[in-house]
Amino acid sequence: MIAYLPLMLRAAGTTLWLSWLAMLIGAFGGTLLALVHMQRIAPFRWLAIAYMEFFRSVPILIVMFFAYYGVPLVLGLDLSPFAAATLALALHASATMSEVVRAGIGSVGHGQWEAAQAAGFTWLQTMRHIIAPQALRVVLPPSIGVFITTLKESSLASIIGYIELTRTGLLVRDSTGGGFAPLLALGVLYFLINYAISQIGAALERRFQTGSRIETVGAMA
Amino acid sequence: MNYTFTLRTIYPYLGELWQAAAVTLWLSSLAIVLSIALGAGIAVLRRSRLRLLRVLGAVYVEIMRNTPLLVILYVVYFAAPAIGIRLSSFVAALLGLTLNSAGYMAEILRAGLIAVAPGQFEAAQSQGMTGWQVFRHVVFPQVFRTIYAPLGNQVIAVILASSLASAVAVEDVASWMQTVGSTSFRFFETFVIAAIVYLVLCQTVNIARLLIGRWLFRQGATR
Repeated sequence: MIAYLPLMLRAAGTTLWLSWLAMLIGAFGGTLLALVHMQRIAPFRWLAIAYMEFFRSVPILIVMFFAYYGVPLVLGLDLSPFAAATLALALHASATMSEVVRAGIGSVGHGQWEAAQAAGFTWLQTMRHIIAPQALRVVLPPSIGVFITTLKESSLASIIGYIELTRTGLLVRDSTGGGFAPLLALGVLYFLINYAISQIGAALERRFQTGSRIETVGAMA
Repeated sequence: MNYTFTLRTIYPYLGELWQAAAVTLWLSSLAIVLSIALGAGIAVLRRSRLRLLRVLGAVYVEIMRNTPLLVILYVVYFAAPAIGIRLSSFVAALLGLTLNSAGYMAEILRAGLIAVAPGQFEAAQSQGMTGWQVFRHVVFPQVFRTIYAPLGNQVIAVILASSLASAVAVEDVASWMQTVGSTSFRFFETFVIAAIVYLVLCQTVNIARLLIGRWLFRQGATR
């Protein structure tokens, strides 16, 4: 078992890479979605709400199944297990992140928009120099929570055959005679990674002292 | 891009879908009820006078919140036979889901208990209330109001998470999607149907809790 530890550590790197990429895409997508949601034109708003409600009410596992098995059939586009997993994770993360970003932008007082407008700022300038820097303080701590959720969800990639940490643990288990130790090692590795990240989140929260905590839905994974 | 959406090939499998939906519903309902009970125990543990018990409760919560459910399910599923217990897929999945969800439930319930100021216990006692009366008339209404929204979120989270039971061979809706999809090559159709089942389940909870919440928390309704 000890001999396999370097292998599992490398696999932990793969898991981190997969979830980081998905989180990055999810954060961009979520920001875009939040901006669409804030538009005055109703159909845009409905579209954003429909997207969020859909990904909040459908398990990520079946989205991953569809991305991996369904997309090649429907679009004739073969996705690798990695691409399918990243896509599903990013779609799910973007739905949660849009809520986080929306709450962040909402936390900046309305008077600041008006003040910026009075000072002759364009929408983009207001966003870039006034709103975003303040919203970021509120957005960052819960984003860490979303990242931890994404990291835990990335274990589902093992089900569609992507060799990340969970799949590696199961493979090690098979090749060491079905023992219990690899599964325990798996749990310990995930715990250490996530606990370390959650401590960063807690530190950020203390540093920014944002009283308003954003509740994220479906954090269990 | 010349894929035609047709449900005709799926018809023969619809009977199994109802069974699968029943499994999903039954599994998540049991897990929710059991994890509230276990979570309540842990929440109380975290308010114990003994430091050791408090630490134990905190460690449990941190482990459950920082480990993927899938790994917990595998540990339960593969570890039980190793120590000589034979668990069916369903029981293993239920156990894993309950253990995991209890970590979240404990935090939700703890936040609810914190919302009751300590002075209120003393005030209620000085009014001559019994332990049960204090719980029924003072603690419960306030705790319930605080935990109502996060509890609803957790119920939905458990329904979604129950889909992972398919990884330990429980024949639920996610498993239906995969088996029927791979025998009929109709993954788009099975995805749409499975998504609708989960959407209906989750949105029913979502809408019900909005309506019930509006009715329960009318001005002064909790008195």
